[in-house]
Amino acid sequence: MIDAERLKILTESAKYDVSCSSSGSGRKNTKGGIGNADAAGICHSFTPDGRCISLLKILLSNRCCYNCLYCPNRAEADVPRASATPDEICQLVMAFYKRNYIEGLFLSSAVEGSPDSTMERLLDTVIRLRKIYRFNGYIHLKGIPLADRSLISRAGLYADRMSFNVELPSERSLRLLAPQKSKEGVLMPMKQLAAEKKAVGEEKGKHRHVFLPAGQTTQLIVGASPESDGQILKLSQAMYRRFSLKRVYFSSYIPVVRHSLLPDKCAGLLREHRLYQADWLMRFYGFSAEEIAGKGENLPEEYDPKCAWALRHMQYFPVEVNAAPLEALLRVPGIGNLGAYKIVRARKYAKLDFDDLAKMRIVLKRAKHFITCGGKFFGSENVNTVKTMLALEDKGPRYEQLSLFSTPETSLSALTGQL
Amino acid sequence: MNVYITDGTEECFYTAVFNACTDRDCVVTSSHTVQLSLGASVTAVRTDRQKCERVRNKLTEYAPHSLRDVSVILRRGSSDKEQVALEYIRLIVQKKSPVGGMLSHPAVIAARDEMKKVTLEAHRFKGFLRFMEAQGGIYYAPFAPDNDILEMILPHFIARLKNQPFIIHDTLRGKAALYNTKECVVAATGEKVDVPLSECEAHFQALWKEYYAAVNIASRPHEKQMKNYMPVRYWKFMPEKRG
Repeated sequence: MIDAERLKILTESAKYDVSCSSSGSGRKNTKGGIGNADAAGICHSFTPDGRCISLLKILLSNRCCYNCLYCPNRAEADVPRASATPDEICQLVMAFYKRNYIEGLFLSSAVEGSPDSTMERLLDTVIRLRKIYRFNGYIHLKGIPLADRSLISRAGLYADRMSFNVELPSERSLRLLAPQKSKEGVLMPMKQLAAEKKAVGEEKGKHRHVFLPAGQTTQLIVGASPESDGQILKLSQAMYRRFSLKRVYFSSYIPVVRHSLLPDKCAGLLREHRLYQADWLMRFYGFSAEEIAGKGENLPEEYDPKCAWALRHMQYFPVEVNAAPLEALLRVPGIGNLGAYKIVRARKYAKLDFDDLAKMRIVLKRAKHFITCGGKFFGSENVNTVKTMLALEDKGPRYEQLSLFSTPETSLSALTGQL
Repeated sequence: MNVYITDGTEECFYTAVFNACTDRDCVVTSSHTVQLSLGASVTAVRTDRQKCERVRNKLTEYAPHSLRDVSVILRRGSSDKEQVALEYIRLIVQKKSPVGGMLSHPAVIAARDEMKKVTLEAHRFKGFLRFMEAQGGIYYAPFAPDNDILEMILPHFIARLKNQPFIIHDTLRGKAALYNTKECVVAATGEKVDVPLSECEAHFQALWKEYYAAVNIASRPHEKQMKNYMPVRYWKFMPEKRG
């Protein structure tokens, strides 16, 4: 059985991978087996950083032969190293799963030895879990770039989801910060898996294979390299279209390693948040990357991307809530997917006015400037006033918590309260 | 004004609805702490199978999914659940058709809110429920939900852990589901049950706590969000939060 010390090392090395969803797979329990997957995904706990725990996120080993500058486990780093055997991982998964701590396994590994031998060990763990332990819960497997094609396609038969992390949004940054990785090495297997999934999807008959039911995802680090938001979104869009990815995750850069080529500061959480908002607009609201941000542009910090788009395109507004098509409602700032569908359903029965919308819990703070209800308009006509009203207030840290032991001047003001 | 007091079961509620539906000025409740107004006449409703069936049949005829909706609303832990369900039924009877789409109608809004609270909690407990391995290989999970959701989460756990005998115990309502890998029964229990745990249980709880601490990114604290998603009242039975 794995001991607490190694569990700690292997988890801490894995935790910066943001993906933790367990959705998209409807895998059924088998006779004599344990577990199934819930198509909507289930969160089992939440950590004090506000993220959910749904899968047991762990590395098989953190002994890495690569030297990616941003990575805490790079070959040159002086960190405690550990590895676990496939059986130890399987036993831990089973023990946690039986207690309903987790929804399944998120397995990754540092590249120990060669990509092929690492991928083999990952595959071995997953096959053991499925065949010997008869586990039918969710498995998210990280793919190792440059591993053999047949290993990767075999893994697709056992895992629910696989991901190859692009990490850096351009080839140039990749060459600079992760010299042993290449863009092709990451994109090729994604392309291969997408093609194989499509082929399996076209199979007919009773004994169809199950191949990556929850598809593929990838992750981009934001803020470690100089790419603009526009470029990042364009790349995401291309991957959604070409590899039919389920998700692109954005991870704002956290400096765990100091290096002259890397920024010293955390990329703001706001930037990550704005990118996710833009990502949602592309996936569920019918926006294209080009509409949201131009090639060299960054997303504005003070408005959400939809609001920024609407303010640039006031000619489309206001829209009439009782008549506008769903696509137009989806483009109104402040009206979400659920809100738009609610409006479309409710207006079949009764004409809606502003009070009705409020009662239906549709947030009107932003929306009221862009809609009319039965011809009535309650927003402001002037675009500039709307802009100032909707701009996010600067929440930067203008004050700091004083301590008795800071510099003499500040510690005095901590005592007297005078600033 | 008439006050109909039910015994809390669905049948009894439908029996009360038989009269209350057309009684414009009335209250239906199962709560025993109801505040009576001046001149209120109290009726303790006794289950009448015939009336109950007639109401059910009529509702199914008008709106096929309404029985499920009402049953979800009645699982709510609040004292005005019967009243919300009654208003919803009245609207169905008035329209003689499903009303689920009338999203701007106050009765539908109230009914949907209550349903949402119940289904959300049921979904959450699919994740937040924690089993402990007891001696003899039976897994025991106590929980204290706001709403009566034991029967709602049961099919999920039976499908998932079908070869694992388990007990899910609602400590607040004093009932437990007992599953022995073949059949499942719901039985009444006391508030506290003594379950001797197996030897390895403490070890796995410690490992889980270790994992929970390790997977957190301490440089990005966001406690508020954690508490929004996982309310503090649920922490009582979660090893990683019990300290």
